[in-house]
Amino acid sequence: MLKSIKGLVAGAVSTLLLAGVAHADITVYTAGPQSLIDKLAEGFTAETGVKVNVFQATTGKVMARIEAEAANPVVDVLISASWDTATDFAKRGWLVPYASPNAEKVPAFLKNDTAVAQGVSALGIAWNTKSGTPKPAEWSDLTKPEFKDLVNIPDPAQSGSSFELTAALAGQDDYRLFKDLKANGAVIAGANAEALNPVLQGAKAAVFGAVDYITFGNKAKGESIDVIFPQSGTVIAPRPVMILNWSKNQDEAKKFVDYILSDAGQALVAKTFLMPARSDVPADRPLIADLKLLNYDAAAVQGKRKEILQQVFDIFGAN
Amino acid sequence: MNAKDIGGVAPAAWFALGGLVVVVAVPFVAILCQAIFPEIGTGSFAKPFSLMGTTLADARLLRMTGNTVLLGTCVVIASSLLAIPLGVARALYRVPLAPVWDVLLLVPFMIPPYIATLGWIMTLQPRGYLEQLFGFNLASVLFSLLGMTLVMTFNTFPVVYFAVSRTVEAVGARYADVGRVFGATPARAFRRITLPLSAPGLAASLLLVFAAAIEEYGTPAALGRRAGFDVLVTGIDTRVGDWPIDLPGAATLSLLLVALSLAAFLLQRWILARRSYQTVNGKPQNADKRPLGYLKLPVLALFGAIAFLSTGVPMLAILATALSRTISGGLSPGNLTLDNFAAVFGNSAGALGALANSLTLGVATALLTGLIGIVSAYVVVKTRMRGRALIDIMTVLPNALPGIVVAVGLILAWNMPGLPFTPYNTGFILLLAYCCILVPHTARYATAAFVQIGDNLEAAARVFGATGAVAFRRILIPLVFPSLASAMLLVFALASRELVASVVVAPVGMQTIATFIWRQFEQGSVGLGMAMAFVTIFLTTLLPLLFLSLLRRSSLIRE
Amino acid sequence: MSKKTDQDADAVSAHDLALHYGDTIVLKGIDLSLSRGRTLALLGPSGCGKTTLLRLVAGLLQPNRGTVRIAGQPVADAKTGFFAPPERRNLGMVFQDYALWPHLTVGGNVAFPLEMRGIARAEREARTMRALTRVGLEAYAGRRPSDLSGGQQQRVAIARAIVAEPQLILFDEPLSNLDRELRENMVGELAGLISELRLTAIYVTHDHAEALTLADEVAVMRAGEIAQLAAPDDLVARPASAEVADFLRLGGTARLSWRGGTWFLAGSDQAVAQEVAPSRGPEAQVLLPLAAVSLGAPSHKTLPARVVRSQFRGDGHLATVVLAGSPDVELQLLSAVRLRPGEQIGLSIDPGRIRWFGEESHNAQEKKVVTC
Repeated sequence: MLKSIKGLVAGAVSTLLLAGVAHADITVYTAGPQSLIDKLAEGFTAETGVKVNVFQATTGKVMARIEAEAANPVVDVLISASWDTATDFAKRGWLVPYASPNAEKVPAFLKNDTAVAQGVSALGIAWNTKSGTPKPAEWSDLTKPEFKDLVNIPDPAQSGSSFELTAALAGQDDYRLFKDLKANGAVIAGANAEALNPVLQGAKAAVFGAVDYITFGNKAKGESIDVIFPQSGTVIAPRPVMILNWSKNQDEAKKFVDYILSDAGQALVAKTFLMPARSDVPADRPLIADLKLLNYDAAAVQGKRKEILQQVFDIFGAN
Repeated sequence: MNAKDIGGVAPAAWFALGGLVVVVAVPFVAILCQAIFPEIGTGSFAKPFSLMGTTLADARLLRMTGNTVLLGTCVVIASSLLAIPLGVARALYRVPLAPVWDVLLLVPFMIPPYIATLGWIMTLQPRGYLEQLFGFNLASVLFSLLGMTLVMTFNTFPVVYFAVSRTVEAVGARYADVGRVFGATPARAFRRITLPLSAPGLAASLLLVFAAAIEEYGTPAALGRRAGFDVLVTGIDTRVGDWPIDLPGAATLSLLLVALSLAAFLLQRWILARRSYQTVNGKPQNADKRPLGYLKLPVLALFGAIAFLSTGVPMLAILATALSRTISGGLSPGNLTLDNFAAVFGNSAGALGALANSLTLGVATALLTGLIGIVSAYVVVKTRMRGRALIDIMTVLPNALPGIVVAVGLILAWNMPGLPFTPYNTGFILLLAYCCILVPHTARYATAAFVQIGDNLEAAARVFGATGAVAFRRILIPLVFPSLASAMLLVFALASRELVASVVVAPVGMQTIATFIWRQFEQGSVGLGMAMAFVTIFLTTLLPLLFLSLLRRSSLIRE
Repeated sequence: MSKKTDQDADAVSAHDLALHYGDTIVLKGIDLSLSRGRTLALLGPSGCGKTTLLRLVAGLLQPNRGTVRIAGQPVADAKTGFFAPPERRNLGMVFQDYALWPHLTVGGNVAFPLEMRGIARAEREARTMRALTRVGLEAYAGRRPSDLSGGQQQRVAIARAIVAEPQLILFDEPLSNLDRELRENMVGELAGLISELRLTAIYVTHDHAEALTLADEVAVMRAGEIAQLAAPDDLVARPASAEVADFLRLGGTARLSWRGGTWFLAGSDQAVAQEVAPSRGPEAQVLLPLAAVSLGAPSHKTLPARVVRSQFRGDGHLATVVLAGSPDVELQLLSAVRLRPGEQIGLSIDPGRIRWFGEESHNAQEKKVVTC
């Protein structure tokens, strides 16, 4: 019996070793969609022969991992779902300045010395078309009696873009809109996916500030759901790509950034219903130019993050 | 009087100690250091205790702690209410279809709690499956303490059910019958004799339920947040998962959680120490079981209802979702599709790789925890070695460590610069995480088994020429193997679906079943995630049952 | 391990062997030796340390002080720390709880010692069957121990102990779990086996009949010490102390005091013996064996006594009586007729059969504080 156990252990050990990073060329941590990074990695390897090892999770989990690894970091390229990360990491001096030749067509507001957007998502109203509610056009439509108890709000503490939308809208009318939403029975319901799922099934009619590309993806699969970008304005979330200064494979990392911004890479981005960062790449969805963006001071809002979240929780906290 | 210090013990003890130090102590100490030295992540011991005070002074802490204890207590009470009648009926009476009920009540073990919760949400929320079928919903019940308690109870009560049915069966109707001869009514005999005699097994299983309830993440996260009910684990997750990250705070909350579990453990010890019985010796005897009589139908209905609620509803919800083309399409024939299952078996998004990884890790974890468990249980029960209390504590400690804490501890410990060798960023880190989280299961079963084995069985082997190692392998391992095997199968099932730690420590490029499912949920492919969940539950239920029946056939395990 | 066995050496010997757990003293310094082919019984009440002594010889415990030798070779020496584990002592052992391994068949249990000695399969099977045949269980080789009765299980345990023909066999109260009738049969069988195979054995028991039947030498143990080590006949004829005599149930013991040429029961004016002169001092501890006590008509010549209880024994009624005026002196006598509890009788005592204990042994006994 012991022999067979030994054999099993040996087998398991070799399997596990093979799963390791023994032959990793670059390591990418991404908060973007798994299917996107898989295709990007595949295309990049086919083009350059450099292998890509991927860790995909939510922005929070990715950050937790980098923080825990601080003493001995392994990540070469980081793709976050929130531009704050780029600002914060640049402040800490963790990023390598790099201007990709392919970034020329990326608008200036989607790049800086140390980061460039991979793509952009926007927030909108995700609305179940079979919910029996009138199609909303504005954020404030969700405070109407037709949407009583039928609205989910993604947790601004768990989603960077949701936070920005909250801050921007709250700044306009001093939380009036959110108080009205609360009065209409809207609830804060976890991260983006958790907020959207009940809308798919019809338990809720709409998500206030849903991440658009996930919703578009669901719509493409045949779910009875649509995204509405209110005319009064919304926020976008550029997804920054960064090269970390501890990377021992900086050349390969730079090539990977180039690939993301290449025609092929941006086409893959567009296929996941994100807005491509490059303005010359087409996509089958509304682009930044089609959206009206809310005007707010991003830096000031980030500085007051704690207070703003506290305000929101004070409104929604006691369910 | 034990056979002490007669050689052969020392290597075993060192193995147990070494294994437990690597698997349990290292991540725990790392967490402890993180709580004390906030900047240890960058290798600095600066500002000790500077952040602990801030975390502990947080006004919400008291509420979170209170909620944690409240939820744990509610789940313990609900589990006993549900499991004790069933377990007693199963143990003392001839319940029709008993083996079927056993299997059905085993399935909740195999349903990952976060999947079960999601299944319940999709069933009970407005326009959920319940409303689609019967026109009403129970959302108000679901998103409340009651809902959380029920969902978690349906997941954990089998622990109590199996413990109660086994110990009561062993205590048997005999002792109670003696009580009746001396004038006790059946109810009185049960209360005064059967129940106290079964107390140790019951208390141990309730402790396990409590520990599982206070460190459960998925259910409080999905249901509790909506109900404004935050617990320590969600607090830890917020600190680890939300920007900005607060690892020292998470570590401090983890230590609080450890303290709670330890308190429960000491309470259980204290209760048992005051009423310790050396009774459970007799073999369970089927012949002793009596017919249910007029209670037959009610008891059957109870078994059916509980099995339906704990296994049927979540499984049906999972299956319904997995078979739906779109969620918004609801339960309609036109919406039926096998696409999601085809996607799983077509290796979409690396589904098959994730399955293979998790099953391999599950087997490896079962073997390793089995080995560590049996050796440490041996040292604790059968020797008088100094330091065995330490080993005992280390086998219990992980009960109190939430998966996410173990994961962060492992990263802190194994990603320090200058290590000559590190499992970090290989599959071994997952193996370490799973072993840490699950070693209490094998250790507990092995301990119980060793307690039942007379000291002389080993002494005899030594006298007749077997070395300590040979006696261990030829005599003790085969004797504890039946209990150990079931514990290892449980470990296999739990390891192959572990979520929280996997998400944080999975090496780059490696998916497990749970991370695969979670990712599908996060990215809106609920159906694909549910299809994978269904396949997993099916495999993790079927493989162990198959394995057990093979063992029985080869008569390695005798009933 | 006993390759160069010294023919003259004792099969087992122990010197100044002591064991304690913290402050609890279990053995106080045992000296004993046993020659090849002989059987030593360790006899004593529970808690006297006899099983501990056996486990020290077996190597299941380590001594705190003293040495153990088997066939002349040291196997445990507390001073040097040398310790041979049990598997290197070439032993056989029969346990009180049989300790049959429940997951092995009867044959598997018996073959185990041979397997451990690396004996080839064919020979192993032959010897296993021979051992099972010897205990009459050849038909049960394929069964599980749990299928067997208590007596059968103990026979398996015995077969397992003898199968490898070890240099020493240890019996740890092997018959105490059996009922009386079976026990008596098994004592006979064991005695036959021991003499037939010329086993060297140490036999632990609390039953004096077993010890006296089976052993060449008997060590009576009390409170972690050997109170007397002697051949069975010597032990019965010349118990070293009142305690030994009591434990062997050789009769009643009493204290006598010497006044004016007569021995009286201590603290009473009942004369017990006149003709016999004291050996030492004015006081004496004596054994009044069954054979010394007989029933006489109640008269001034006899000692008045009251019957406490009476029990039928194969050859008559064994009555326990107390002497008038000395309620703590219990004597036994064999009567042809049944005596009723409470009945007043007269006893006559044959002074020639009184066994006088030496004062020194008496004093020694007094000093021994019961600690275990």
